[in-house]
Amino acid sequence: MIRRLLPTLLTLCLLTTLSLGQVAEAQQRLKTAVAEVLAVADRAPNKSVLPNRVRSVLTKHVNFETMTRRAVGPGWRQFTPQQQQQATQLFSTLIIRSYSAKFTPGEHPAITYLNASSPASGRVDVPTRMVYQGSHYNVTYRLERALGWQITDVVIEGVSMIANYRSQLDAQFKKGGASAVISSLNQSLSRTP
Amino acid sequence: MNNSPKLELLVGAFVVLGLAAVAYLTLHLGKGSMLGGDTYRIEARFTNAGGLNPGSSVVVAGVPVGRVESVRVDPADFSAIADLRVISGLKLPTDTIASIKTTGLIGDKYILLAPGAEESTLTPGSRITDTESSVDLESLIGKMAFGSVEKDNPKAPTP
Repeated sequence: MIRRLLPTLLTLCLLTTLSLGQVAEAQQRLKTAVAEVLAVADRAPNKSVLPNRVRSVLTKHVNFETMTRRAVGPGWRQFTPQQQQQATQLFSTLIIRSYSAKFTPGEHPAITYLNASSPASGRVDVPTRMVYQGSHYNVTYRLERALGWQITDVVIEGVSMIANYRSQLDAQFKKGGASAVISSLNQSLSRTP
Repeated sequence: MNNSPKLELLVGAFVVLGLAAVAYLTLHLGKGSMLGGDTYRIEARFTNAGGLNPGSSVVVAGVPVGRVESVRVDPADFSAIADLRVISGLKLPTDTIASIKTTGLIGDKYILLAPGAEESTLTPGSRITDTESSVDLESLIGKMAFGSVEKDNPKAPTP
């Protein structure tokens, strides 16, 4: 019995040590990203310049291309390359704007990093607990390794950002194709200041 | 009154037959043997699979396409792994998101698969890791109700 179990146990140990390396690497990357964003937000004199300043940091750490493709879902393959580019541009602006709208300059979130795990190779989930302006949030960051580790999804209180946008954008796509998706993105952009 | 033993036997047999029929229905309908045709198995990893049972339905765009075969704990990181059986004709992209949803407000849990944009498809036995676990309604309500207690409110009286 033990003999039969031994190889399995050994491979399990090997796998955990391998994944431990990438888990630590991804978590470190996330911490750097968060620190950089906070540093930029601190230096901003007011809220209106925040989106533009945060953008350069976020494009480094967040894979907006993958995010947009996944948010659009099955319809993406029927987009023309031009429409794909346009959708990526709009979607990333939407994310950055709604993200930086949550920031109040001078306020610092207290983030506790919980045990990160690697559900598949090249994929790491980092669950965190965040206290911001007196409220508690459970935020899980999903990172993937492309060129380096990049954030591909954010799960807040169990609700995935990509899944949330996918259900909305896919419905738009079924209504009126790629142009409907782009115009709905345009609309929500014009609604947020 | 003289044929009562025979009648009682008959009634007894009828009751037993009825119970057997009920038992048969519970076993077979619950397991999801209603799903005809060939299926393949995929796995989905959740941090919390509360309320999900073997036999829960798997849905794409509101259409039932499979069943949950079993739910178990991964001993490596204590996450929940659900084994799903999905009809063979359905090829799902690798970036499909699996979410545990509830029918109505407090109804049964089911798994909603939202297909993604990737060209490659999930092969039998592969695992979906982009998932949304069941949203714990009670803890959310608890947060709404008791959230103010946790706040670092300077105006709040110190205990």
